Amino acid sequence: MAVTASVGKTILVTGASRGIGYQIARRFAGERDDYDTVLLLARPSEAFTAAAAGLAEGARAGVRVQAYPVDLADADELRAAVDAIHAEHPRIDTLVNNAGYANPVALQQIDFADFQHTVNVNVYAPFLLVQHLLHRGNTFELIVNVASTAGINGRAGWLTYSASKAAMITMSQVMREELALYGTRVVCVSPGRCATDLRRTLAPDEDPETIMRPADVAAVVDMLASGVGRFVDSANLVVRQ
Amino acid sequence: MYSLVLLNGGVGARLDAGRPKQLVTVGGLPILVYSLVAADAVQEITQIVLNYPPGWRDQVEEIVRSYAITTPVVYLEAGPTRHESVALGLARCSNERVIIHESARPLVTSADFHRLIEDPRPNVALMLPIPFTVAPVDPQTSRVTGSLDRSRLRNVQLPQKYALADLRAAHQWAAARDLVYTEDATLVVDAGHEVYFVAGSDRNLKVTTRTDVRLASFLLQGGDDGRDGFSG
Repeated sequence: MAVTASVGKTILVTGASRGIGYQIARRFAGERDDYDTVLLLARPSEAFTAAAAGLAEGARAGVRVQAYPVDLADADELRAAVDAIHAEHPRIDTLVNNAGYANPVALQQIDFADFQHTVNVNVYAPFLLVQHLLHRGNTFELIVNVASTAGINGRAGWLTYSASKAAMITMSQVMREELALYGTRVVCVSPGRCATDLRRTLAPDEDPETIMRPADVAAVVDMLASGVGRFVDSANLVVRQ
Repeated sequence: MYSLVLLNGGVGARLDAGRPKQLVTVGGLPILVYSLVAADAVQEITQIVLNYPPGWRDQVEEIVRSYAITTPVVYLEAGPTRHESVALGLARCSNERVIIHESARPLVTSADFHRLIEDPRPNVALMLPIPFTVAPVDPQTSRVTGSLDRSRLRNVQLPQKYALADLRAAHQWAAARDLVYTEDATLVVDAGHEVYFVAGSDRNLKVTTRTDVRLASFLLQGGDDGRDGFSG
């Protein structure tokens, strides 16, 4: 027995309060005419509240923007949030696993709990989102997992983040093979240096105008969700200046 | 509407001693998943009668649950033979039309089910031409006894569809004569009903040996889709 689909598509973006996630949500709410529901998932914060309000304001007529504040590091909280989302939106067509956490410190200084938190947010949360929705019968048209070039090559000082993003890259490969069963496309995007808030903290002297912006990565995700996206989705897609 | 009898009770002695073959993984997934998902996407299939090898119900139910199969499933312990498993499954069908399939053919597609459903004839099986020569023999004496015209023979595949009344009557006919068949198209014909065939695909292979598992995995993962440009 197959279930019939609704008219406009639904996208769920994690880590949507700022940076790449925010820009992706902005693009899908404001510029595309095939999506009518944009769901945002991020840690509860003033920035998230403001971002959701701004996105709703800038959305095209008829587009619904809905925010779900949730701590992605908390598996139980995330499951409960997914249940709430699924009850209201039984079909999520596109999922963008963008939320990420990084606290780059040297090996000897890594706090194990911080490493666990990194893995919780960067690996377990995207996995749980996908698995929990699949268990509820939500097969996807497209899943975009945002990894990082730091997951391809390690660099001193970035152990926890690099390890988690390497996991994201290979997890995406497995998802791509297993979810081909439903015709789901799974794309892994690995941005390089990008003018995010985190980057500003890590490299305060860098002029953000000179490097790739979150909106550029959002444009790539937009392309992946368009008709030509299927021609470039078979590998870990490096997005770098 | 159709009931699907999904045969899933065989123990794969040639594949993995002690483990039922429907729990063997093909392309990384339990082989049963492919048929379940293909059938679940077919609107006309409103019931799945799924059998399981004795002692393996929990594992089979867990697969159905994990893959969020929405079509109602009736679980049924497999009979001692394939023939009996079908007969037991028929007793649980709630629709007047039935499709028979087996989980050992993971390359089945929703389109295969649709082709059978759209065919106006009541009893239809997927079948393939035989690309090699077969000879009738006497196995006792090792003597070749004649010849067969392969253009008049077909490789019998699944899925197949039947009017439930015809298939039930055929099984009753066989039971009355103590006959056991290894598949249903020839049984239904021997019992006096008409059965037609439509061309199947050689991709829809039956996974029986370890080599079959590797071949099916290769096909399921798109290894033959020519995406890499070697096919021009």
